[in-house]
Amino acid sequence: MKCFNNRRASYTDCNPTMKIMDFCKVLVLLGVFWVSAGFAQPSKVLIVNSDNAVFRYGTIASEFKKVLQQNAYQWTEFNLNSHADAEAELKQLIQQENPVLIYCIGTKAYSLARNVASNKKLLFSAAINWRRLDIGEGTYGVANELSSAQEISLLRYFFPTIKNIGLLYNDKFSREYVETIKKDASALGINIINQPINDAQEIGDALNELLPKIDMFWIISDPVVLSSKASVQQIFQAAQQRKKPVYAYSDVFIEQGAVLAISADLATIGRQSASLALMVDKDKVPEGTVQNPAGSTVTLNKCALDALRLNFNQDALDSVNKIVECNK
Amino acid sequence: MIKYLYTLLVGALVLNSSAFADASAPNDNLEKELAYLAAERQVVVTASKMEEHVDKTVATTTVITQDDIQHIGARNLLDVLRLVPGIGITQSQLGIREIEVRGVKTSLSEKVQIMLNGHPLDHNLQNAGSAWVYDDLPVDTIKRVEVVRGPGSALYGANAFLAVINIITQNAKDLNGLHTSAGWGSFDIQQYRASWGKQFNNSAEAALHFNFTDTNGINSPIPADSLSVQGLNSAAPGKSQLTEGRYDLEWQLGYQDFKLDGRYINKKTGAFFGATSILSDDRTQQDYNDYFLRLSRTWKIQDNLTVDTQLFHDFFSYDNLWQVAPAQFSRFGLQDTRTGGEIQTNYHLNDAQTVIAGFSYAKEQQGNLIDQAGPDPVNLTQVLSSTEVRTRQRWGVYIEDVWDPLKSLRMTLGARYDRYSDFGGTFNPRMGFNWEFIRNYSLKFSYGTAYRAPSFGELGSINNPVLLGNPALKPEQVKTFETGIIAHPVKGLTAQATYYHSAINQLISQVPGQATFLRYDNNGSVVAEGVELETRYDFDGKLQGSYISANHVLQHSVQFNQQLADVPRQRTNLTALWAFDNTWSSFAHVLIKGNTLRNLGDTRPDVPGYALFDLGLLGKNMFGKQVDISFNVYNLLDKRYYDPAPASLNFIGDYQMAGRSFFGHVSLKF
Repeated sequence: MKCFNNRRASYTDCNPTMKIMDFCKVLVLLGVFWVSAGFAQPSKVLIVNSDNAVFRYGTIASEFKKVLQQNAYQWTEFNLNSHADAEAELKQLIQQENPVLIYCIGTKAYSLARNVASNKKLLFSAAINWRRLDIGEGTYGVANELSSAQEISLLRYFFPTIKNIGLLYNDKFSREYVETIKKDASALGINIINQPINDAQEIGDALNELLPKIDMFWIISDPVVLSSKASVQQIFQAAQQRKKPVYAYSDVFIEQGAVLAISADLATIGRQSASLALMVDKDKVPEGTVQNPAGSTVTLNKCALDALRLNFNQDALDSVNKIVECNK
Repeated sequence: MIKYLYTLLVGALVLNSSAFADASAPNDNLEKELAYLAAERQVVVTASKMEEHVDKTVATTTVITQDDIQHIGARNLLDVLRLVPGIGITQSQLGIREIEVRGVKTSLSEKVQIMLNGHPLDHNLQNAGSAWVYDDLPVDTIKRVEVVRGPGSALYGANAFLAVINIITQNAKDLNGLHTSAGWGSFDIQQYRASWGKQFNNSAEAALHFNFTDTNGINSPIPADSLSVQGLNSAAPGKSQLTEGRYDLEWQLGYQDFKLDGRYINKKTGAFFGATSILSDDRTQQDYNDYFLRLSRTWKIQDNLTVDTQLFHDFFSYDNLWQVAPAQFSRFGLQDTRTGGEIQTNYHLNDAQTVIAGFSYAKEQQGNLIDQAGPDPVNLTQVLSSTEVRTRQRWGVYIEDVWDPLKSLRMTLGARYDRYSDFGGTFNPRMGFNWEFIRNYSLKFSYGTAYRAPSFGELGSINNPVLLGNPALKPEQVKTFETGIIAHPVKGLTAQATYYHSAINQLISQVPGQATFLRYDNNGSVVAEGVELETRYDFDGKLQGSYISANHVLQHSVQFNQQLADVPRQRTNLTALWAFDNTWSSFAHVLIKGNTLRNLGDTRPDVPGYALFDLGLLGKNMFGKQVDISFNVYNLLDKRYYDPAPASLNFIGDYQMAGRSFFGHVSLKF
C-alpha cells in the first residue's frame, strides 16, 4: 500500500498494519448497519410550508399540528424558505419519511410537492384560487376562498339594491375563481363586471374604466392586484372619489374603508385541514375533495356605510360578527 | 322568513369562527396579508417564474441530486457522470479521464464545459478542457449536478460545445452546522471531508468545504511498450502508476447582496501509461494548482428587474515531470490566469416572459513557463520552450428570451456574440420550444450553435520537432438540432426520447506539416447523430422511494465517411433502487457498452463490449438522523473489460480497467 506524501510530492510505502485497520473499519461499518436498524422513526404526515414566516401559513400550520397532536399523529415539518435546494431535499425527505399524506400550505408548497411526489396523497390549503392548480388523483384540499355563492348571497342580503359588482383580477392567478364568481352571481341576478390587469400599474386605468359601471367594488385575493400598500390605497381612493362601496374578502381592508368583509378564519382552515387529513388517512373522503373554509367572520364598517349614505338591510345586522363604528 | 334563512346562511359561514380582526394593528394586519399575497405571487403555476422544471426546459437536461449520488456510492464526479445518457467515461494515456458526449470523444474533453456553481472551470488555457483537475472531483459536498447535453455557447460562451456540466455545491443554508465524512475502498482510496456552514443574524453567511482524497490507482497491467517489443530495457511489462492525491478547499461567503466564493485545488498524480510510447514508472509526477475567486452582487432595481454583477480571477498552473524514456525526463510548467467581469440584467416583462441580457469581458494570460530536460530528474537543464507567453482579451454580449405564449408552450430564443483578440468573432444563436401538446405529453425542439476557442497550445506550440501550433486557427463550430418527446403516461412513469444531429466543422486537428511532422489546422468535420431513450418508474405504497430506470443510447458519429473510432454505437444503463424502509435502501446498476470501433488503418479487432454490475447499500439518517453509511461494490462480477488505447500504443492491446472493487462511506452531521 502506498500513501501520498504531499510535502515530497511522492508516494511511499505505509505500515502494513494499516490493512488491518482498514479491515476493522469495514467491520465497524457492518456493525453499525445492524445496530442502526432499530433507530428508524417513521412519520405519518409531512407538512410542507411555503414560508413559515408568513402569518397566514404559520397560523394554519400551528392549528393543524394541534389537531394532529390531539389525535396522536406524528408529523415532520419542511419549510421551503429554510432550504436552498428545496426540491431535492423535499424529495429526499419524502423518501426517508414515507408519509401517508403530505399537507401543503400555500401554492409553492403544493406545486413542489406535486412535482416530486405526485404518487403521494396531497392535501393543500392557503393556495389562492385552487382551481388553477394541477390537481391529480389523491389530492384533497381546503380552499383559500369562501364559497362565492354564499358570499354573493350575503351581499344581496346586506345590499338588496346592488346589481352590478366590479372586480379587478389577473388572469394567471384568478381566472378560474372569477369565472366561478360570475356564474354564481348570475344565478342570483347579479352582474359581475370584471377587468383583467397584467400588473399593478394598470390598476388606475382599469378602475377609471370599471368604477362608473358598477354599484360596488369587490376586492378578491388576487396577488397582482394587491401587490403593495400603494395598490390598496389606490383602489380605495378611487372608490371613495366615485363614492363606490368596497366589499373585501378579508377584514384587514375594513380599516382602509371597505364597507363589508367576510373573512375566512385561518385557525379554522388549519383545524379543518387536519380533520380532512385524518379522514383521508382512513379513506373516508372521496378523492379530489376540496372543501370550502368552514369558519368565517363578517365585519361591517358602519362608519364607511354612513359616509357613503348607503342603504343596507338592517335585518342583516344579526349576521354580523363585528361592527366598526366611526368613533372606534 | 328571509331574515331567518339568511341568519342560517351566515350561521353556516360563521361555524367555528373565533378570530376577530385586531383593530389595534390594522396596518400590521394589512402587511401580513400583503406578505401572504406576495408569497403566493412567487408561484405562477402556468408560467415560467418558478424554477424551470426539467420537463419544461428546451434543452436536454439530466439532474443528479445529492440523494442520487449517495445511492450510487460515487467516489468522484466520474462515477456520477457515467450514469447520464449520452455520456461515457474512458481512461486516457496521460492519466486524466475522457468524457465522451453523444458519440464524440477527445483525449482532453475540451468540448465539454464543466462549471462550479455557474462558474466555468476551463482554466487550462494551454491544453483546454476542465478534466485535468475536475475529473476526479470529490462528490461529498455536491448538492446537485446538472448535465445539459447540446450546444450552450449562446448563453455560456466558449467551450459549451457538446455539453455543460454544472456542479452545485452545498451552501450555508444547506449545511447549517458541521458535516464530516470519510470513505475507504479498493485501490487504497481514502477520502475525508469537513464542511461547515452558518447563516448569521446580520444577513451574513459562510460555508467552507475541505476535501482530501488519495488513491494508489487501479494498477492496470501494461504488458508491453515500444521498447519492450524491441527487446530493449523498459518498465514493461509493468503496471499503470496512476496514483492520485488532491486537496480541495472551497468557500462561499455572503453579506447582504454580496457574495465571495471560490475553490482551490492542489492535485498530484502519476500517469496511466505516460506521455510517450514508453511506460513510465512512478517518477512521472503531475502537479496541478487551480483556483478561482469570484465576487458577485445582485442588484434589485425594481421588482421585475435585477442586475447580476461579478468580478472573477481564475488561476491554473502545472509543474509536470514526465519520464519520456527509461533515463530521460522532461519537465513542463506554466501558469494561466483569466481575469474579468460580467454584468447580466434579468427583466421579467410579465409573468409569461423573461429576458436576460449581459456583457462579459476577460483577459487571459499565460506565463512562467518551465521547460527542462535531462537524464536525472533532480538535475534537469533548460531547453527551448515548447509554448509561448501569450495574452488575449475576449468580450461577449448575449441576450435570451424565455417566453410562455400559452400555458402549454415555452419558447426560448437567444444569441451571443464573442470576440477574441487573436482569432476574431463568433456568433452563436439558440432557439427552441417545449410544447405540452396533450396533458402529460410534451414535445421539444431546439436548434443552436456553439464554438470551442483554439487553446494557447494549439495556437502557439513552438520548438517541437513533431507538432507545431498554428496562430491562424479559427474556432471549432457545431450546429445541433434536436427534438424529443417527454411523457408521463401513467402515475409514476416518465419516458423520454430524444433525437439529435450535430455537425462539427472547422475541427482543430493534427495534420501533416511541412516544417514538422504534424501541425494544428482547421481540418475536417464530424457528423454525430443519435437517439437517447430514457424511462423511470417510481413505486408507490410500501415501496415508496423505490424506482427502476433505464436509458439506452444509439449513436452514430462519422468523420471522413467512417464511423468515429473509440466510441461505442450503443450504451445502456439500467438502475434500480429498492427502499426497504425509511432508513435502508439498496442500489443496483448495470452498464452495458457496445463494441468500440478502431481507427481506419488500425488492424486490432474492435474493443469488445461489456456489461458491468454495481451494487450498493445505503443507510440514511441513523442515530437521530445524524449518520449516513453506505457500502458499494463496483463490477461485482469481476468482469475483465478494456478501454481503447490509441493506435500509437497498439502493442499493448488496450487499457485493462478495474475488476471488482469496494467503497465504504460514512458521513456525520453535527
